[in-house]
Amino acid sequence: MTILTTILTLAPAFGGVSEPSGGLLAIKVGRAETVSGAAIEHAVILVDDGKILEIGADLPVARGIPVFERPDWVVMPGLVSCYTRLGVDGRAGQEFSPEASPTPEVQPRHPDYKEVLEAGVTTIGLYPPGTGFPGHASALRPHGATLAEMLVDEDAYLKVYFRANAQAKKQVRDVRAKVDEHDEKVKKAKEKFDKESKAKPSDKKDEEKKDGEAKPEEKKADDKSKAFVPPEADPKTKPFLQVRDGELGMLVSIAQAADWAHWVDATSELKLDFSLRVVMTREIDLFEVKDEIGKRGVRVVMEPQISLVPGTMRQRNLAAELSASGAKIAFKPRNDTVADHAAMLRHVGEMIGAGLAREVALKGVTLEPAAVLKLEKRLGSLEKGKVANLLFLNGDPFEPSTQVMAVMLDGEFVSGEVKE
Amino acid sequence: MKLAHRFRALGALALAALSFLAPPAFAQDGEKKEGDKKDEASKDKKDEKKDEWFAVTGGDVYTGTGAVLRGATVLSKNGVIEAVGHDVEVPADAKTLDATGQRVYPGLVAINSNGLFGMTAGDFADSVDPYNQRMLLALASGITTAGQSNTALKLKRRDIKNVVLRERFLATLSFTNSNPSGKREWIEKFDRAARFLREYRDWEEKKREQKDLKEPSSSGVDSTAKAILEGRVMARFNASNREDLLEIARLAQRFGFRPVIDGCVEGWTVADELGRAGAYAVVTPRDRRDKEEQLVRDGGSSIENAAILHHSGVQVCVIPSTTGVDLGGIAGRDILHLPIEAGFAVRGGLSDQAALESITIVPARLLGVSHKVGSLEKGKDCDLIVLDGDVMHYQSLVQYTVVEGKIAYDKSAELFYAHIRPRPSDQLAPEARQDKGESDEKPAEGAGETPGDKPEESPKPEDKPEDKPKDG
Repeated sequence: MTILTTILTLAPAFGGVSEPSGGLLAIKVGRAETVSGAAIEHAVILVDDGKILEIGADLPVARGIPVFERPDWVVMPGLVSCYTRLGVDGRAGQEFSPEASPTPEVQPRHPDYKEVLEAGVTTIGLYPPGTGFPGHASALRPHGATLAEMLVDEDAYLKVYFRANAQAKKQVRDVRAKVDEHDEKVKKAKEKFDKESKAKPSDKKDEEKKDGEAKPEEKKADDKSKAFVPPEADPKTKPFLQVRDGELGMLVSIAQAADWAHWVDATSELKLDFSLRVVMTREIDLFEVKDEIGKRGVRVVMEPQISLVPGTMRQRNLAAELSASGAKIAFKPRNDTVADHAAMLRHVGEMIGAGLAREVALKGVTLEPAAVLKLEKRLGSLEKGKVANLLFLNGDPFEPSTQVMAVMLDGEFVSGEVKE
Repeated sequence: MKLAHRFRALGALALAALSFLAPPAFAQDGEKKEGDKKDEASKDKKDEKKDEWFAVTGGDVYTGTGAVLRGATVLSKNGVIEAVGHDVEVPADAKTLDATGQRVYPGLVAINSNGLFGMTAGDFADSVDPYNQRMLLALASGITTAGQSNTALKLKRRDIKNVVLRERFLATLSFTNSNPSGKREWIEKFDRAARFLREYRDWEEKKREQKDLKEPSSSGVDSTAKAILEGRVMARFNASNREDLLEIARLAQRFGFRPVIDGCVEGWTVADELGRAGAYAVVTPRDRRDKEEQLVRDGGSSIENAAILHHSGVQVCVIPSTTGVDLGGIAGRDILHLPIEAGFAVRGGLSDQAALESITIVPARLLGVSHKVGSLEKGKDCDLIVLDGDVMHYQSLVQYTVVEGKIAYDKSAELFYAHIRPRPSDQLAPEARQDKGESDEKPAEGAGETPGDKPEESPKPEDKPEDKPKDG
């Protein structure tokens, strides 16, 4: 038991809070919004060791397993706020610091974390402030006494602040030059290594290596003794290599259609996998490029807010339009405050009233923001094997009158009247 | 429910607006049409680039070179004019725009502008905002090329490629009696540059015999002055005083270049001298300036300024007093009223043709892009406007603006002027018609929004002149 506890404390992301629950718990509710599939009426969720063991309608529960039964309640995955500065200083710099992380600033036990957790937010993505390439964001649980307890993933996504101007485009070009420079360095080192290993007659894999512009990692596998170790990248270049190799997500902040056009222009022939952060303004003109964004299936992080056709009072539902064009929508609170985190579901509900599809809205507060943090395999929906981050409500999530009844984080109730 | 309906209407609107430039991702009128389009697009990709043909047919074509071709065709191939005339064969796959009963002019050129390319000061290639409303409004006024920071730029909607036509063909010089030392400096610079060029030509001549002759040193030669004297750059002055204008004329004649003079308010008093110096004048016909009463000589502004300058051989370019889009203050004096401003030059005696040139080919020359824009001629960019009347008439509205063979503005598809003298429904683009069908009896898009916008059944413009400002 002690060993288990130690392991769990070392790797808090995979398990319980301070002490593992140790046992099974069966949750019976009126309805479960699974997000990944259809809603389940009379749902039973079996939770074990902080994870969802099983979920289904009217599942039989073996005798002896404690049952938490609330037939009037609705359960959904805990909300994910993937783009926030909650609990940390808002000051921004202008340095080029892609290697920076916001975690050193985090103050565990900050009151904001407790409040948003009680409002149903079980995962947050803290981003680094600043323009250009200010650093990468980290995924945290808004709960825990130490940073280690809070941390889910140190490297969630690289933040890029891009606006249509010469300086921003130059910065992108500089980064590309740096990456090319590094590639050149790796190539040279590889050639040198090949030459050296060729000089030794014992090596059988000469042939293969000659035609090998393949990744050095592959060689490492068959040839452990004399594996090629690529030269270490500069810390300021490494994040971009990680993005290129799909190890790190990228979130590009834009505010208008022109920013998109220039971003595409600056990165056109690169096969980049990125999400967009769209800063919603009253008269945002991003609808001009919604088809382009949709065609690429980009995930868009945006506020649940109605905008206007520029120069008029005509309303537009940009989220619904983007979604209809093929983009994925991840909502962030209107303002980065505790109150707007708490009002998140209500605000998204307003978007549904203005034409947004309900499924898109549900995903937009759970699975999609989880995907921005590259955590979509671990949380964001009610599925077997996923972390038991649950939000209990007394009605439909998007009804204004609905209230949060309880919140479960990694299989533990962290708020609500849940005593039997 | 009402809200939802509104959104649907908006979606359709956006479709109508986009449909000219790109096939919409989701067509509302059935899969078939969309499928066809897609097939075409993929075919295009396969056999490399297929030529894009575009033709404006049946309009009275004012080429800008002096000719008027009634009921003629302008044919464009890949954005460049292929033919202008009466017996032009239009390829079967060409997109066509019927301009019967309308007038076709070259796209207007504004020598100065502000904000049309977004809130940017320079580095246009890296910062142009091709979606901003000011660009759209300028296109709605007929402007297809504009200068900003002495750079010639094309108004390309939703496109950031090849926006910059030419950079810094104009160099602004401070040469005025109120800054004598600056004046002296420029004279010295021109002197030195002229001397260098003479020495250089001499050296080039002598080099044929004496191969090892040393090249004359260019140290201390001002590069701007040298470029002006070589004709690579045009010197631009800002002067309105008679004395300043005379000094500029003398300077230009002494060193042999053609000056561009902004303002030129008192130009009419020294028009002969300016004409002899081969000057270009950038004038605002509605500029008002009092005469200095203590002087006996002529002075002050005159509505005849442009006409007198033109008669003396000065090439006249017209620009409104505000070069940005300005919807405040006195209406009708901003960049959106470029042709109206030229109309005031006509009021002062300038010919229609010279007035048209003052907002097309002359500014194109000053920006160094007259080989590409400024008139409708074979080989030039297909930038043109289709109007329901004379371009300089206060009542005329631009119906279509075409930039490089593509419709960049359609009056009936945009919010600004669609409700003013709306086009009969059979002349609307199919997308716009469809829109209309959806919102039932509403004539133009969303006309129900503002009660004052109800169009008359048969507008009688002669009874009811448009007294509202155009941008109102």
